[in-house]
Order: sequence, then C-alpha cells, then structure tokens
Amino acid sequence: MYDLFSNLILGFSVAMTPANLGFALVGCLVGTLIGVLPGIGPVATVAMLLPLTFYLEPVSGLIMLAGIFYGAQYGGSTTAILVNLPGETSSVVTCIDGHQMAKQGRAGAALAIAALGSFFAGCVSTLLIALFSPPLAKVGQSFGAPEYFSLMVLGLIAAVVLAHGSIVKAVAMVIFGLLLGLVGTDGNTGGQRFTFGLITLADGIGFVPVAIGVFGVGEIIANLVRGEEQRSLVQAKITRLWPTKEEFKLAWPATLRGTALGSILGVLPGGGATLSSFAAYAFEKKIARDPSRFGRGAIEGVAGPESANNAGAQTSFIPMLTLGLPGNAVMALMIGALTIHGIQPGPQVMTERPALFWGMVASMWIGNLMLLVINLPLIGIWVQLLKVPYRVLYLAILLFCAIGVYTVSNNTLDVIITAMFGVLGYIFIKFECEPAPMLLGFVLGPLMEENLRRAMRISGGDPMIFVNRPISLGLLVAAAVLLVIVMLPAIRAKREEAFQEG
Amino acid sequence: MLENRIAALRRKQGHALQFKLVRTPGPFIQSPNENKRLQRGQGAYRGENDMKRIRPALLIAFCLVLAAEAYGQAPYPNKPIKVIVPYAPGGLTDVVARYFTEQVRRILGQAVYVENKPGASGIIAIEEMARARPDGYTLMIGNISTNGLTPVLLAKKMKIDYDRDVQIIARLADVPVFFLATTTDFPPKTFAEFLAYAKANPGKVRFGSAGAGSYQQINTEVLAKRAGGLEMVHIPFKEGGSGILHDLGNGDIHVTWFNVTNPVGMIKAGRVRPLVVAAPQRLAQYPDVPTIAEAGFPGIKAAQWVAAFAPAATPPEIVELLHDAFAKAAASPEMNDIFQKGGMIAPPPGTLADARNWLRGEMTMWRQVAEEINLRLED
Repeated sequence: MYDLFSNLILGFSVAMTPANLGFALVGCLVGTLIGVLPGIGPVATVAMLLPLTFYLEPVSGLIMLAGIFYGAQYGGSTTAILVNLPGETSSVVTCIDGHQMAKQGRAGAALAIAALGSFFAGCVSTLLIALFSPPLAKVGQSFGAPEYFSLMVLGLIAAVVLAHGSIVKAVAMVIFGLLLGLVGTDGNTGGQRFTFGLITLADGIGFVPVAIGVFGVGEIIANLVRGEEQRSLVQAKITRLWPTKEEFKLAWPATLRGTALGSILGVLPGGGATLSSFAAYAFEKKIARDPSRFGRGAIEGVAGPESANNAGAQTSFIPMLTLGLPGNAVMALMIGALTIHGIQPGPQVMTERPALFWGMVASMWIGNLMLLVINLPLIGIWVQLLKVPYRVLYLAILLFCAIGVYTVSNNTLDVIITAMFGVLGYIFIKFECEPAPMLLGFVLGPLMEENLRRAMRISGGDPMIFVNRPISLGLLVAAAVLLVIVMLPAIRAKREEAFQEG
Repeated sequence: MLENRIAALRRKQGHALQFKLVRTPGPFIQSPNENKRLQRGQGAYRGENDMKRIRPALLIAFCLVLAAEAYGQAPYPNKPIKVIVPYAPGGLTDVVARYFTEQVRRILGQAVYVENKPGASGIIAIEEMARARPDGYTLMIGNISTNGLTPVLLAKKMKIDYDRDVQIIARLADVPVFFLATTTDFPPKTFAEFLAYAKANPGKVRFGSAGAGSYQQINTEVLAKRAGGLEMVHIPFKEGGSGILHDLGNGDIHVTWFNVTNPVGMIKAGRVRPLVVAAPQRLAQYPDVPTIAEAGFPGIKAAQWVAAFAPAATPPEIVELLHDAFAKAAASPEMNDIFQKGGMIAPPPGTLADARNWLRGEMTMWRQVAEEINLRLED
C-alpha cells in the first residue's frame, strides 16, 4: 500500500508540472473537438500529431495523446445525443435513449449524466490501472480465438435484447447486419466476397459510413418529412439543463454497473472495448423493472453505456502498458510514439520508467477532471444549438457527416455509401426496424467468423475446443441462459405489448 | 488541420490553373521579375477564399495568376507535395512515412503531407499514385507487402501495369524481422530444435500471418519447403500484427515472422522467444540470436523494407531531386536516431540507379519465390 502511495505521489509530481498540465489540457480540448465532429476520429488526429511528439518529452507526448483519446470518448456522446449521430462504435447505443431524451427536451440532463458517468468511470478505471495492471493483463492474455467466438455469440444474443419492438424484426436486423459484414476479402484464401469488382470494397464496408448513414442521415430525412411545426414543438420543450433527483437516482447504479462491465471488457484486446457499451445497454435493459421505457428516453440507457465506454477506453491501456499489445489503433500509435523515444512498452516499463508509467496514470485522472470542467459548461451551449432552425442545422450536420466520412480513409465512395445507408435508415424508421441490432451484427459478424475459423484451425477441426476451454464454456452457458430468457413466452408477450404501444 | 486546409486550397488552385492552361515548357528556369509577378499573383489569388471579397477582385486575382502561370513558374517544388500511404494511420510504414516527410519538408522548404489511402493490399494507393499527374507532387511510401508482394501476387487485380507505370524514388528503411516462437507449451528453444520438432510433428505446428499472400505466410512456406517439406498449419489474422502477437503469447499459434521492434515487450515478459533474425548481421541488443544465414538459409530475405515511389512519367530531374532529398533525410541525425531506437536499419547509401537495380532484384526474387511455393490467390 505504501508503494502505491509513493508511486502515486511520484506520478502526480510528474503530471502536475505546468508543462504537462498544459499538454493534458491541449489533448483534452482537441479530443473534445474531434469527438464532437462526427467521423473525425482520434486515430487520424493522433497520427497527425505523432511527428510532433518526437520533439517532446516521452511522458508529455503520451499525456497529450492520451488526452485526445479519452477526450474523444467524452465528445462523441454529444452528437449522439443531440442529433443522433454516432461518430464512434461506442456511441451507437447512446443514440437510442440519449436522442430520445433530447427530443423530449432533456438533452441537458442526458449530456450531464453522460459527462458525470464518464468522469466517475474514468476515476475508477484509473485506480484499477494503478492497482491491478499485471493481473488484469493476464486476464486479457487468456482470451484466444475460442473465447472471442463465444463472447461474440453472447453479444449477438444480447443484440436482440437491444431492440424494444418486434423480436422477429430484431433478429432480421441482426442477420442483415451479419450479411453486410460478409463483404470484403476472405482472410484465409484471399478470395473476394460481394465486392462487385469494386476495389474499394475489398476491405469491406466501413463502420462509419453505415452508422452515420442509418442513424444520422436517416434521422435527417425523417425529420424533414415530418414538417416544420412538429419539429419546433421539440425545440420549445427544452426546460432545465440539470438532471432531476429521480434521474440521478436511476442513473448512479447504472453508472456503477457500466463502469464494472467496461473495465473488464476494455482489458480484452481487439473486440472487447467495442462491446462494452452494447453490453452495458443490454444489461441495463435486462435488469430494469420496466424495460419498455428503454428506447423512449431512459436515463439508465445513457448512464450505463457512457460509463462503460469510458472505463473500457481507460483499461485498454493495460495490455498496451504491460505487454506492448495494442488493443486498438490509437494504442498502436502510442506504442509508435514511445518506440521512437527508445521505450518499449512491456512489463519492464513500470520498474524501469516509473515516472513515465505513474505520470501517465496520474494524468489520466487529471485529464478526466479537466474534461468534466470543459464539458459541463458546454452543455448549455450544445443545447442552444437545438434552437437553431432545423432547415439550417440539418445542412451543417450533413456537411460534417460528409467531411467526417470522407476523412476516415479519404475515399469518395464512402460518402456515396453513407447516402445509400441514409435512405435505408429512413426506410427502417418507416418500417419501425431498429438499426442498433443491425450495427451490432455488422460489427460482430466478421469478428465472429474470423474467430470461429481460427479456433477451428487451431483445434484441427474439432469443435470441442469451445467447450474444453473454461472461459469459452462459461460464455456459451451465459449465452444459452440469455437465449432462454429472451424466448420465454411471458417476456415475449410483454415485448409484443410494448411493440403495440409504440 | 490548418495545414491540411491550406494544402487542399493550394491543390485546388493548381488544378484550376492546369485545367485551363497548356503546360508551359521549362518550368525550372525563370527570371527574378517573373518571380515577383508570381508572388503578387498568388497573394491576390488566395483572397478568393475569403468570403468577403467581391467578385471583381476575384476576377483580377484570377487574371494575375493566369499571367503568372503563362510566364513561368517557381522551381519545383512550388506547392505542397502529397505522399500517399497505403495504410490507415498507426502502422510502422505510416509512422516511418510521417517522420520522413517531416525531414523532407525541411530539406525542400515545402510542405509535404501524408494522405492515408488504406485498402486492397495497397492497390487503391498504388493506382491513385500511378494515375496522378506525373509532376512530382503525388508520391507514395509503401513497403514490402504493398509494393513488393502485391504487384507479384495481385497483378491481375490492378488496372495498371506496375513495372511500367511506377518507379522507385529511394529506399527509406530496412526493418529486420525475427522468427519468433511461443514459450507456452512449445518445447523448441533454438532454430535447430524447431526444425527437428516441426519435422517430427507434421501438421502440429501452427504459424500466424496477416492473411493469404502476406510476407509472413510466404516466408514461412519458403522456409518449410527449403527445410525439406515441413508441414505446418497456416492461421491467418485479419487484424494483423497485434492479433498475431497476442495469440503467439498464449500459445494458440507457435511461430511467426515479426519485425524486431513491436515484440520487445513480449520478449522481455518471457512469453515469446526469437529463434533467428533476418538481418545482414546479428543485432547488438540480441547477440545470442543467430542470423537466418548462419542458421543455414541464406536465401531467405525476410527483412521488411520501406521505400518511396512516384509515377513512372515523372520528369527525371524531379525524381533525381526527390531521391537526393529522401537520401539526405535518411542520413540525417534525426532519422538515424529514429532508426536506432525503432530497431530499423538505414538504407545503404547509393544513387537512384542503385535503388532501381535493387527494386528490380527484389521483384525478380519474389516472382521466383511465388513460383517456388506455387502460391495462388483466389479471385
């Protein structure tokens, strides 16, 4: 315990120097900005700033890049709530209830809960990094292809829970998402699937064009169809910015659960962090006393996933710092930045460079505090944005969507794909098919296929590998239990009822 | 962001002019007078993007630029140079490209920026570069996979003739690679032990690669063939490096080729072990790891390389100039610092002709290797 305190003191002494505080602030500001602009993600920003870090102290560079990374996590929820635009995988589920809240004039409350939940999750997971990095890294390491496959199975079944309407439609949407995920090059043979000879489809359809298309653009079309009067009704309803007492009461247990779930899933390299916000949403809905509130502006549906994705973002540093294994592209860039300074992330970093490791941990906490201070006053400004006449606002949204989608891989076809999915998104709204399960199927499908095939190759074609490994078996059992719960006639009846109301 | 915007602006300007004008010959010679005129013209022209300017000002500005353009241009490079990287940001090649462009920017005194065009094993980037106006303002930085293996294995998928339409500017860096083995439930501790083990256990050893046609797969299959027909199971990883290292760490795959930089953490943690290194000589940090030649396979050239390319029709004097700039950057103390810390090897000094000969040799070798292991990718 004494070690921890002396380490933390060392960390804060590094992170609290005026220069490093400045770098943390710059990182957080830039991160918030790119988080708010849909599609312009932290990866491109960190890449652009990478050569700059060569001229900085390693710890300063790392503090700034880390600030951008989790700043974007805070900012991403803003557009999701206000205009139904998920810029990142993690903010897709925030759209579901967050945007409904905004429509009911509760945008301020949703934004405040998102920021507070993220701050809480950030603090807790930073502490986790400080206390349990090495053992947590081991948990991540024990995950192989069979475990991932079973986790994806669990995730897909949870996807059905995401929907609040007809279960048949939800299953259909998941399968549609899986099919979309098939497009691209087959990893084992190099053969092309459903690319229609288009070379730009060789790596599949991008997540950002699909997400921005079905959510953002689809919503815009629906709003424009609806007519002026109904839209201004939404704008007139904005009342108080701060959450009510009841909302706080509902939100804080959800924040706790989301933080726990996100912290665990964030440690898993690859698909783990992606799943955290989906998982948190499905979990909240499953345990809620009245699941029919979800999809109509339930505050837990914002608090849970938002804390989960921030916790996951923080704990994804663990495999990077302890083993040099990047869990995502931003982590890979940070390893690049460290490598250029001659530092190889690995178990020795904690002992050989304690100032770097603990300075980084301390700066995470400081960065989270800064983000809270930046974000809370901004809520008022963001909410004012909703008062801009929609005929002006939607043009700006569309423009930012187009820019954001284009910059992901500098490809014009992506913009066209976004437009096509926008039309599809409008059709989904008309048929009351929910896009969130489709997106989850789209994200998980390729991961599931890859891990299934890899696991079968590892085992030499023996499917027992999924049962012989304890973690994989546990996840499959959990999936089976969830499936039974979903199938139970009583619950299904309730679902149908909920569907008819809506 | 700002740089990008300015860059986009200038590009637009360049296009607008070249669209309207027949290119003037000899853009490299000009008098001081013309230079002044040009500066004046450009200064006014930039005003076009200021929304407050009124139309007549625009017209005058445009005429001025037309005049300036007609009378001649500042010497190359007089506008930002775009360098296409065939990967999303973050990989080794992207990072090398970013540090190099920073040095070249200083040497040429002109903005040089990276544009990421990931996808299709580099074909998207190569085709865009090859089809760009061959004026030295669109270049590409690629590596062994995108500019060595793709043209050999995926030639049918390309709409250009790689050998005819693309030329090398300079070699930028060589990256030695380890042949790594897991330490989890895998007995071999040396390369010789590995060969014996793989021979004694056909179909039991699993090797990881970044996918069908990746350099890891090709090198492992060449090794397997030359070691007397080892039978190993290929496990492809769509997500590439990080996934391979992860599964190597927990023993789900047994061996792979990997650059010497990224696995250092895993090596120090004792989870993976380098058996041989593909490099001209042993690495200073790993004096006990023999080279692949010492281990009896001098023909396997697994080292990764990064190099800069341009459209084949780029004027020779510009290519020479760019070669010198990149070579100077490669020899700079900053880059050498980066090479050393990143475990890379600076390219051997040489002329443009040397680089061309080297690339020709490299392409011939990969064609022979693909033939030798009879590698065919599905359409």
